[in-house]
Amino acid sequence: MDTFAALSQGVMVALQPMNLLFAFVGVMLGTAVGVLPGIGPALTVALLLPITFKLDPAGSLIMFAGIYYGGMYGGSTASILLNTPGESASIVTALEGNKMARAGRGGPALATAAIGSFVAGTIATIGLALIAPTIVDLAISFGPEDYFALMVLAFTTVSAAFGSSVTRGLTSLFIGLSLGLIGIDLQSGQARLSFGVPDLLDGVEVTTLAVALFAIGETLSVVAAGARADEIIEPVKGSVFMNREDWKRSWKPWLRGTFLGFPIGAMPAGGAEIPTFLSYALEKRLCRKPGEFGNGAIEGVAGPEAANNAAAAGVLVPLLTLGLPTSATAAIMLAGFQQYGMNPGPLLFATNPDLVWGLIASLFIANGMLLVLNLPLVGLWVRLLAIPRPWLYGGILVFATLGTLGANPSLVELGMLLVFGLLGYVLRRYDYPIAPVVVGLILGPLAEQQLRRALAISVGDPLVLFQSPVALTLYVLSALALFGPLLFYVITGRKAPVGADED
Amino acid sequence: MSDSRPTSTAGPDKARFVIAFALAVLALVVGWDAWRLSGINTYSAVGPEAFPAIIAAGLALLALANAVEAVREGAQDRPRDEAGPMAWVLAGLIGQIVLLAFGAGFAIATGWLFAATAKGFGRGPLWGHFLAGAAMCFVIYVVFAKGLQLALPAGPLERLI
Amino acid sequence: MKHLFSGALLATAVAVAPFGAAFAEINELKIIAPAAPGGGWDQTARSIQHVLQSDKLVENVQVLNVPGAGGTIGLAQFVNSSKGDPNVMIVGGYVMVGAIITNRSPVTLAEVTPIARLTGEYEAIAVPANSPLKSLADLVAALKADPQKVSWAGGSAGGTDHITAGLFTKAIGIDPRKVNYIAFSGGGESLASILGGKVTVGISSLSEYDAQAKAGKLRILGVSSAERLPEAPDVPTFKEAGIDVEIQNWRMIAAAPGITAEQKQELSQTIEKMVKSKAWTEMLAQKGWANTYLSGAAFDAQLAKDIAATQTILKDIGLAQ
Repeated sequence: MDTFAALSQGVMVALQPMNLLFAFVGVMLGTAVGVLPGIGPALTVALLLPITFKLDPAGSLIMFAGIYYGGMYGGSTASILLNTPGESASIVTALEGNKMARAGRGGPALATAAIGSFVAGTIATIGLALIAPTIVDLAISFGPEDYFALMVLAFTTVSAAFGSSVTRGLTSLFIGLSLGLIGIDLQSGQARLSFGVPDLLDGVEVTTLAVALFAIGETLSVVAAGARADEIIEPVKGSVFMNREDWKRSWKPWLRGTFLGFPIGAMPAGGAEIPTFLSYALEKRLCRKPGEFGNGAIEGVAGPEAANNAAAAGVLVPLLTLGLPTSATAAIMLAGFQQYGMNPGPLLFATNPDLVWGLIASLFIANGMLLVLNLPLVGLWVRLLAIPRPWLYGGILVFATLGTLGANPSLVELGMLLVFGLLGYVLRRYDYPIAPVVVGLILGPLAEQQLRRALAISVGDPLVLFQSPVALTLYVLSALALFGPLLFYVITGRKAPVGADED
Repeated sequence: MSDSRPTSTAGPDKARFVIAFALAVLALVVGWDAWRLSGINTYSAVGPEAFPAIIAAGLALLALANAVEAVREGAQDRPRDEAGPMAWVLAGLIGQIVLLAFGAGFAIATGWLFAATAKGFGRGPLWGHFLAGAAMCFVIYVVFAKGLQLALPAGPLERLI
Repeated sequence: MKHLFSGALLATAVAVAPFGAAFAEINELKIIAPAAPGGGWDQTARSIQHVLQSDKLVENVQVLNVPGAGGTIGLAQFVNSSKGDPNVMIVGGYVMVGAIITNRSPVTLAEVTPIARLTGEYEAIAVPANSPLKSLADLVAALKADPQKVSWAGGSAGGTDHITAGLFTKAIGIDPRKVNYIAFSGGGESLASILGGKVTVGISSLSEYDAQAKAGKLRILGVSSAERLPEAPDVPTFKEAGIDVEIQNWRMIAAAPGITAEQKQELSQTIEKMVKSKAWTEMLAQKGWANTYLSGAAFDAQLAKDIAATQTILKDIGLAQ
């Protein structure tokens, strides 16, 4: 019970008025910077970290936690309202969230994202406090062959969830996979598909591709449609907040998202993207109204947002118990901790318990602050969509290029934004789904690296892929995802409910 | 964005033929790169060329599948896209890159992007929007570049501060 | 927002009052960090910025991030756009030496004006606590039995870790091409694979392994320094085990090509003052970086030696022609 005593002690410190003020300022600043497309929580924290130096340790830790959560929520806000994902983990949110916002349901979308983040953050924080040491042993036992099996599962479930035409879905996926090849190959140091252009050596930035395909591609197709696409964007239709049905449809996806996000986030190579993909696919499968998927289903926002947030807390498991920074965000958090005189590592819980629990309490308070601050603002945010179209789209392009330039001030990056924007336009025009391109770019390189690591360690013996029980379980799940609908049909004689395509 | 369902008429779908052709070209490029990489002599169980080779093969198959569907599904009646407004938006994006390349700075270049996009959506005048956009972007520059040390391209306007 | 705007106002006030800055030797300095915010080079650049400004050595310092390809993109931009400009500097390091060779970068370190080496870290080889390998001698024996059965976890291919693994195997008479090197993109991921026993050994900066070793989860077999290190006095050097490999992953600061001798002199003096300041010592202690300051002809010689040795080993590994 020491755990809870330590945690409540931390919460008491964080609840002092001055510290609440710091949390407030942190969340505000984090949201303001995190809204920029291409600038995710890692970069937001990196940019704002210097501001926290001037405060006392407790205050700066709390402000830091506020910035972190603000940055994450800012990314979701931009995804939902402007279709410009701020980071790779909020790309899935844009799929359904932006459709909702356009149909006047931006309020409920923002609310379910905020509340889902809070629920997921809370559960994951409790998980962090209670089972971190247990789950970390499990996470460490994952080898490259297990990760490869996880990628296979993500590929199969995701490709089953996007698009009705197999050819079109696979075409988009393979375009993404080809883009994923660009750059220096990690295992051999060789440049692939770079044609001697130095800016291509680092590969295609996921957020650049997503912002280009989603925001710029859409701007181009809307402007090209001219008067024909006079679909009026309704800023608010019905309640600005979630109604009864929204609550009913959201709470289960929140929980499921949390249970996908936390353990995968805790794995050293798990990341936050894969749980959002899996959550989206799962919710689409389970949704009672699958036809709504692709037209703004609230489950498609609630689940992935919860997964994203739980994964972010999961990243803290290896960081706090073992001192392993397993993502860009974790690496920057590590830099932040060192600033406060704490050195994450296997001994941290033993040597600095007050700081650890202080941090966990800060995260908790910041998460709550985010909710308090953003729910009343939801009504204001959705008013953004009431801006006349010429200015709204002009503003979207300004912000898209600002975020891209801010993350990497290179004209080649802007050129890529333009080229991929045109690609997005062409795909839309000829009814190819957009999301699989991004999925291919994210998952392709991960799957390749894990497979090659597994085979290098086994000195080329492919049997290693099927020897671990974890990997075998994941393959069985993949097979179910692929052939499940078929089995359903064979057994019941009815066609399995399959959702409409995404665009 | 396809709110009107395409209807099929006689003859193959030319647009999808073009897409199939583009995929075939992409397959060739990726395949050529894989072939180039296979000549590199480092030790590894699976070399850097294995995945590109698989992806190239997949792209080639998809080129074929798209071509087959183009014939089977026939030509589609797609609503005409308007070239004029689209050209404005593209001119905005390309103009921004060109202006930045010539050192015009963030505010002027992005102000032009804003004005051209608004023009594409049928809202003028270009000059008024350019001035308003440049002023807005100047404020953004001050906040992000000076307040947060974010490196945004500076031009004559930005150097005034 | 208050901090932000007061910062902005201050910067504005400073920029419009160029003659009020009599107490600083250099008015304005732009430091290029050829990496994304948060990484080692970025932190180095921002530490320099902090100390130069707080000690009033330079009035106004800006950090510009130009990420990409082991720093070669930032380097190319620096060389092409700031010829003869004494107010621009670039941060770099040993990783750049390898990246220039493997990426066939058109721009090399020969084109900049090196000012000083500032900090550095040494490489270490580690195994999980329950590994049968107890010493460097065991590792050498395992490598001699079958080099491919020994898998090495480290950073990206062609980086410092890979180069050190290559030098190590070459020094014991094994073809470095046979090194079964598994590249990981982040320190956390590679450390997890070592702790989980997925690979035979790990190779990286000592600081990556230090905390785990103190907790008894890892055993550090050896380090790449010339003498034993104060932070790990029990760990033998490679040289003690008879393996003639010494390598330091250093970070440096360099000035633009084509500056005059006086300008170089002034920048060198400013950097030297910074290195000797209390604020810099505190900054290094806080970040856990070792002070490996080296400047002038000694640094130039060291740099030339490193470039030549790296060229050879990358050829041996098969990553360069």
